[in-house]
Amino acid sequence: MISINNIGKSYGGQWAVDIAQQQIETGEIVGLVGNNGAGKTTLFRLILDLVRADRGEILSKGKNVATSEDWKKYTAAYLDEGFLINYLTPEEYFYFVGKLNNSSKAEVDEVLKTFEPFFEGAILKSGKYIRDLSKGNQFKVGIAACVIQNPEIIILDEPFANLDPSSQVRLIQMLKDLRERKRMTILISSHDLNHITEVCTRILLMEKGLIIKDLKASDDTLNELEAYFRI
Amino acid sequence: MIFTLLSHQWKGFWRASDAGKNIAIQIFMGFLMLYLLASAIAVGLMLPKLLMQVFPGQNIITVFCGLILYYFAFDIILRFMLQELPTMVVQPYLVQNISRKQIVNFLNLRSLVSFFNLIPIILFVPFVVSEIGVTYGPLISLGFVLTIFSLFIFNHFLILFIKRITIVNVLWLVGFFVVVLAFIALDYFGGFSIRHFSSVLFNRLLTTPLLCIVAIALAIASFYNNRAYLLRNFYLEEMTKSEGQKSSVDYTWLNRFGEVGDLIALDLKLILRNKRPRSAVLYSGILLFYGFFFFKTKVLDKGVLANAMLGGIFTTGYLFINYGQFLFAWQGNYFDGLMASNIQLKTYIKGKLMLLTAFSTVALLLTLPYGLLSWKIIPIEIAAYFFNIGIHSMVCIYFATRNYKAIDISKTSRFTFKGSGPAQYLYVLLIFFIGMVLYMPVSFLLGAWAAVIAVGTVGLISFLLRDWWIDILSKEMAIRKHRILEGFREK
Repeated sequence: MISINNIGKSYGGQWAVDIAQQQIETGEIVGLVGNNGAGKTTLFRLILDLVRADRGEILSKGKNVATSEDWKKYTAAYLDEGFLINYLTPEEYFYFVGKLNNSSKAEVDEVLKTFEPFFEGAILKSGKYIRDLSKGNQFKVGIAACVIQNPEIIILDEPFANLDPSSQVRLIQMLKDLRERKRMTILISSHDLNHITEVCTRILLMEKGLIIKDLKASDDTLNELEAYFRI
Repeated sequence: MIFTLLSHQWKGFWRASDAGKNIAIQIFMGFLMLYLLASAIAVGLMLPKLLMQVFPGQNIITVFCGLILYYFAFDIILRFMLQELPTMVVQPYLVQNISRKQIVNFLNLRSLVSFFNLIPIILFVPFVVSEIGVTYGPLISLGFVLTIFSLFIFNHFLILFIKRITIVNVLWLVGFFVVVLAFIALDYFGGFSIRHFSSVLFNRLLTTPLLCIVAIALAIASFYNNRAYLLRNFYLEEMTKSEGQKSSVDYTWLNRFGEVGDLIALDLKLILRNKRPRSAVLYSGILLFYGFFFFKTKVLDKGVLANAMLGGIFTTGYLFINYGQFLFAWQGNYFDGLMASNIQLKTYIKGKLMLLTAFSTVALLLTLPYGLLSWKIIPIEIAAYFFNIGIHSMVCIYFATRNYKAIDISKTSRFTFKGSGPAQYLYVLLIFFIGMVLYMPVSFLLGAWAAVIAVGTVGLISFLLRDWWIDILSKEMAIRKHRILEGFREK
């Protein structure tokens, strides 16, 4: 589904992302791990054409993301609060996103119903603008907005970082569920090795812009990763 | 400490993402300032002779005394329009070992280094030294110099204070204008003569130079007032958080425009729910009154329509100046999300164009009452309206694609809000230039009315061809998108 062909992005002489060839197939849940500054977020930004590549290209379903806007129709992403329109109420934001993807209010409401346990009553009918919600709750809004778009691929940057433990568990369940029911492709980055080995089918290890390991998830993966990160 | 902060500001200027634009503006302003400086020096040195020519037979010192407060009043208005608030990103310093007093003092003192404070010195000191010093002695001339100096410092901090407080509460702005207009009216209609008042005051000063202490006290009071205000409001955003349930709003009347309607609704909510854009839009309302400068009935009767043409362009396009220039920057906080969402660039640009059109339409309706001054104004305004929606809007969006600095609408920080400044006026001059390029040749060849019709028709045709424009602008946008995103991320 996504082809990364010789992509490179440098900042001030250093390559933040430098990947020769990588494919992400439909239906995979791919986890991106690496130390800080390894290039995970930059790679996501390149996939979403938010950053101009210095060389190479990224193809989504065969089309270059930088020249064609078709990928927007089936791609949903949440990288940071900069993706939220924080002066809207959560409902307004959900309906706005839904409209952009030709979902009616009723359809959006249906999806939101499945999110009720995840929201724990703090988001819908809260009488607040998104900017007044806590960071964790803002994150929940972002994730829900992604799912509402009914995409074929979801990209999340460090989704476990801001969630409380029970929400983390719910998120893992939700991601697995989406993949099973809808064959969704999911791209997540995380520092949380436990969660990422639990939910992902494939793990890419990035270091200084390069992908140095491409592991198929198995029982040993967690050990392998921990060995890498051990000092 | 001051040197460190100064060096930070210096680096910040050169390393900003919009440094190029700032440098260009500064150079232009630099030339302008040099010119004004030279003129001021000339006037300052020639003041005695000038006064003797303009007011023959009167004691030039008395005349001088009368004029000082006139300049003072003029200075207030000029500063209000052009003086920029000194800005600084304060947050990084708050947790360091720098006291708030130091930061506030730095900001205030740094702001004093301004062109506006140089001019009165250059204009008045030569006269004071040469005439008053000679006639009345050095002590008195010293008193004069101190008084004049203090008066302008008073002005300086007064305007800063007013500009800051109007960010929070627009009513202050209204109050300020009411007071200023009242003084002008009183002076014009003879109720209260500024000149007389000035004469009396400064003549007293001639005899009792110690009265300069009053002025110095005023200046110090103004400085401390400013300082106290800043110190009190160091807690920035927390101050204006309003309680109360927020409800979801749906603009159903925009639904028939589809996606474009959604984008316009988003912009409307942005203006209504965020202090900065809301202030910018309300604040711009003052610009509607500038029409009085342009629509002079005497000139219109003579058949010279160029002024009114410019006036029409200015008043029906007034929102473009303060809001339109930063079209994308207002959404800077979530621009990443917008660009990654399922909105085609073309739709986005179209939404912005429609928003500008709506602004212009509202402005047109608001300025129709000018027709009471002269019926000629109405067709001119309509022509200007077409110019604005057809040509000015495209230029505006084009400039917006070159703006790489986001505006953080959630921050109403008194420390980082620049307010309107010279850059806006340069933009207006550019738009006027474009308008005149269309108007002048036709007016020369075929007469004023033909020129008005020409401007309006070109504007209308351009608007009808908007899809073509949207194509070009979205291509521009696609090229600049990454640069804009990078700039916006730098908050």
